[in-house]
This record gives sequence, C-alpha cells and structure tokens, in this order.
Amino acid sequence: MIILETRHLTKIFPDGTEAVKDINLSFREGEFAVIAGANGSGKTVLVRHFNGLLMPTRGEVLLEGEPITKNLVRARTQVGIIFQDSDSQIVGQTVAEDVAFGPENLGLSPEEVAATVKETLESVGLSHLANRRPHLLSGGQKRRLAVAGVLAMKPRIIVFDEPFTGLDYPGVVQVLNQVLSLHRKGHTIIMVTHELEKVLAHADRLIVMHGGEVAEDGPPGEVLGRVGRYGVRQPYGNRPVETMTWIS
Amino acid sequence: MDQLNVFHYMHKDSVIHRMDCRIKLGCMVLLSVTASFASTWADFGILAGVFAAALLGSKLPVAALLRELRFFAFLILLVFLVHSFSVPGQPVQSVPLPGLTVEGVTSGLTFAGKLLLIIILCVVLAGTTPLSLLGKAVEWFLRPVPFIPEARVATMINLVFVLIPLIFSQAGEILNAQKARCVERRKNPVKRIIFLAFPLLFQTFKKADDLALAMEARCYSEKRTKAVFKATPVDWGILIFSAAVFLAVFFVT
Ligand SMILES: Nc1ncnc2c1ncn2[C@@H]1O[C@H](COP(=O)(O)OP(=O)(O)OP(=O)(O)O)[C@@H](O)[C@H]1O
Ligand SMILES: [Mg+2]
Repeated sequence: MIILETRHLTKIFPDGTEAVKDINLSFREGEFAVIAGANGSGKTVLVRHFNGLLMPTRGEVLLEGEPITKNLVRARTQVGIIFQDSDSQIVGQTVAEDVAFGPENLGLSPEEVAATVKETLESVGLSHLANRRPHLLSGGQKRRLAVAGVLAMKPRIIVFDEPFTGLDYPGVVQVLNQVLSLHRKGHTIIMVTHELEKVLAHADRLIVMHGGEVAEDGPPGEVLGRVGRYGVRQPYGNRPVETMTWIS
Repeated sequence: MDQLNVFHYMHKDSVIHRMDCRIKLGCMVLLSVTASFASTWADFGILAGVFAAALLGSKLPVAALLRELRFFAFLILLVFLVHSFSVPGQPVQSVPLPGLTVEGVTSGLTFAGKLLLIIILCVVLAGTTPLSLLGKAVEWFLRPVPFIPEARVATMINLVFVLIPLIFSQAGEILNAQKARCVERRKNPVKRIIFLAFPLLFQTFKKADDLALAMEARCYSEKRTKAVFKATPVDWGILIFSAAVFLAVFFVT
C-alpha cells in the first residue's frame, strides 16, 4: 500500500532558488528508504514538504491518497521529522517535559500525556534521565530525545534528516539500532544521509537527489554503483551492500 | 554560564519540590514583599531563619549554590558601598573617610541584606520548580484576566528560558573562535563588541527560526493540555506560615 506520495512537487523560494523540481515519489507502508545526494541537492527541502512544514510552489503531497493540506495536524502527527540539529528541537527544560510538548499540543488529558511520556522514554531508553536538563545530554542521547519527541506523537512515517552527523561510534550504533527497531515495529522509515556505509545494508531502496531532481531510485545494490556521479561517495570501492552497516 | 547550577531546576524529592506551584509562587511573592519591607534586626533575623529553613528543606546542594552565589557578592558589595557613601548624615567616628556616614552604612546594610534575601528566594524557587510548571502556574493566574492569551504567555516564558542558556553557550563559542584568531589584539572595544554581536544575533535568530519550525512540526497550538494543580493541606500550611511571617515583620516594624 502506498502511504506517502508526491506529485510534480516543485519548490521555488522567493529568492528564485529552485530547490526541488518536479519530484514524483511514492513510499510503500513499512518501507525503509535512504535519500542521498550532495550538499544543496534539495534533500532537506524535499522532506520538509512531507508534513507540510514547507508548502510546494507546484504539485502536492498525498498521505494515504489525501492531500496533506486537507488536514495538516494529521499530516504532522503521522509524519514525524527528526531534524539535523538536535539542539534546536528541544523545547522543554527537562527531558520528560520535552517529550510532553507534542502530546500537550494535541490537547490530550494530563494522564494521557504522562502515560505517553513514560512509555516513549522507556522505548528510547531515556527513562533514567527523565528529569535531566536536555542540553546537558550527550550527542547520542540528544538525538534519541529528538526521536522520543517525535514518537510521542505516534507517527507512522518517521523521517530522519542526517541522523548521524556529529555522533561518535557508540552514538551512531545507538541511533541505528533505534531506527531498525522502529522499522521492525512497522514504521515507514525515510532517512536522509550521505553516510551510506553506515546504514545501506538495512535499506530497501536508495534514492539519489541531484540538483533538486531525483537522479536515481531503486534497490541499493543496483543504484550504488552509480552514486559517485552525483557527489555521493561510494563506500570503499565495490563492497557488497550487505556489509554496509555499523552494527556487527 | 550554562554550567552554573544556580537558578536551574534540580530534581529532588522535598516538601518544597512537591508544593503546589501556584501556592509556592504565592508564598514567594509574599516573602519577597516581606523581605523588601524588612528594616530592623528582628525582621532580618526572622527572614534569615525562614529562608535558611527553606533552603535546607529544599534539599538543594546548599554549599555548591553558596559558592556560585559569590558572583553576586560583587553586586551586593557595590550596593552597600554606594549607599554608604551617598546617603547624607553623621560621619562615622571611628573611620574618618570623606562621605562615609552612619545613615549610609545602615541603609547600605539593609539594602544589601534585602538583596541577598531576595536572591536566596529566587534560588529556592528556581531550584525547586521546573520553569514550565512555573509558566503553567502563571498561566493559571492569568486565566481569569481577559484579553491576555495565557497559553502564549506561558510558552513565551518557557522559550526564553530554553533559549538563554543556548545564547550564552553560543556567545562563549563565538568568543573562543575569535580568540583563536587573535581578536584580543584589536584594541578598540566597540569593534570587538560588534564582532561578537553580529554573529550572535544572526545565530540567535536562526536558532529561534529552527525552534519555531520544530515546534510547528510537533503541532504547536495554543489549545494545549492544561495543567491540573492540586493543593494539599501542607501547601496551605506553608502559605499560612508565610502570611504569618509577613504579618510578624509588619507588626514588629
Ligand atoms: N529558505 C530558503 N530560501 C532560499 N533558498 C533555500 C532555502 N532553503 C534552502 N534553500 C536552497 O535550496 C537548495 C537545497 O537545499 P537543501 O537544504 O534541501 O539541501 P540538502 O540537500 O539538504 O543539503 P545538505 O546536505 O547540505 O543538508 C540549496 O541550494 C539551498 O541554498
Ligand atoms: Mg540538509
């Protein structure tokens, strides 16, 4: 079943930059797609259309066949985006408060909010830090907190924008494990990254953006050989896709 | 600055942490008014006792906090000195400094004392109350006031306190990066302030923008879950006690 679809999606910024051009993509429910591409190729702009944070100049985004503009709140709860910079996503003064932010926006009762926060923190393994100040967490913990903030909205599609930037080896492994466990639980995963060697073994699909357009789209094994042309480093020559993971 | 603990919430399990936030806020207002009216030794004695009890009762790390309060010592000393030398009156016999007066020293001491008391009060309040809860208590007090969007005020209070530590750490980083490029060799202080201010402003606006986007992504709305407050008999007891302190100080003066 197609859960998310873009049709002729084009975004032209007021300054004339054509950031994405005529994008037609569809994502199946439960899919794990990786979007790669050089800096400035339009990856971030593209994914920010998926829950209506950016509105297209032309074209539309459909969630289960319905244009997201019909019900933005639904789009924002169903499609969770985890931004590149975890720091600027933190709105609470404690870890628990930060996770509560989303459910409170949805107007859940205080008991429901508390239950959701507890459950979400347990699922990302941050329960013991519930009362800490978020800004004092480590990089990997902050990213997990950002994931928790999104998970508390109970999304079906989770978009990660460069989830590995600035993380050390254990940090990457933590985040990767979390992504995989979310995928196993049935979430649709869309991950923007150019660090293919860390994750590609787990993906069903590799999309390569180039100059605002989709240049390649297909099974990782097929596409991988051609990524070099689009400013994405092909990891270590001709390694098989199955070895591209940081989880041993 | 972001490493300082003073004025930051610290999670502990104490009577003061557990207090109903509205009542805590009420007590704090009452006690700070009391502190600002204190004038005699007896007043200060009572208040110092009450505040020390509050500080100890809050289970906050008193020693560490007091050490950090040394940053305020300068301010308090300044208040004392300015008063000592600026209030006209009898010169102090034993210390023949021009301008130093008995009235000045007394008034300086009272003001410094009040300042210290109010700072301690703020430390206790901030250390025992998550700011979002404080925001919600303010929101609760604003609910009956017409034309004030209380949810927005609460969010604003909350965000200010999220952004301030970020801005400080940002300023520290910019300054270090500029020091690495020998900004200290620039002798013109105005230039140096400009070098710091522009990137800081720019980055702060960017941070605020990102934050707004992240809030939107998480469905920010002003029709949010409202906090439910519950006052216990202990809370009422503390409120009555604060009121008693207030009356006692007024009674003595
Ligand atoms: N608000 C904006 N106004 C004007 N141009 C913009 C805006 N946001 C992005 N762009 C431009 O759109 C293009 C695509 O940017 P985008 O951030 O999507 O790139 P990206 O693929 O995510 O790159 P990176 O790998 O650096 O994150 C860039 O040329 C960028 O300058
Ligand atoms: Mg990007």
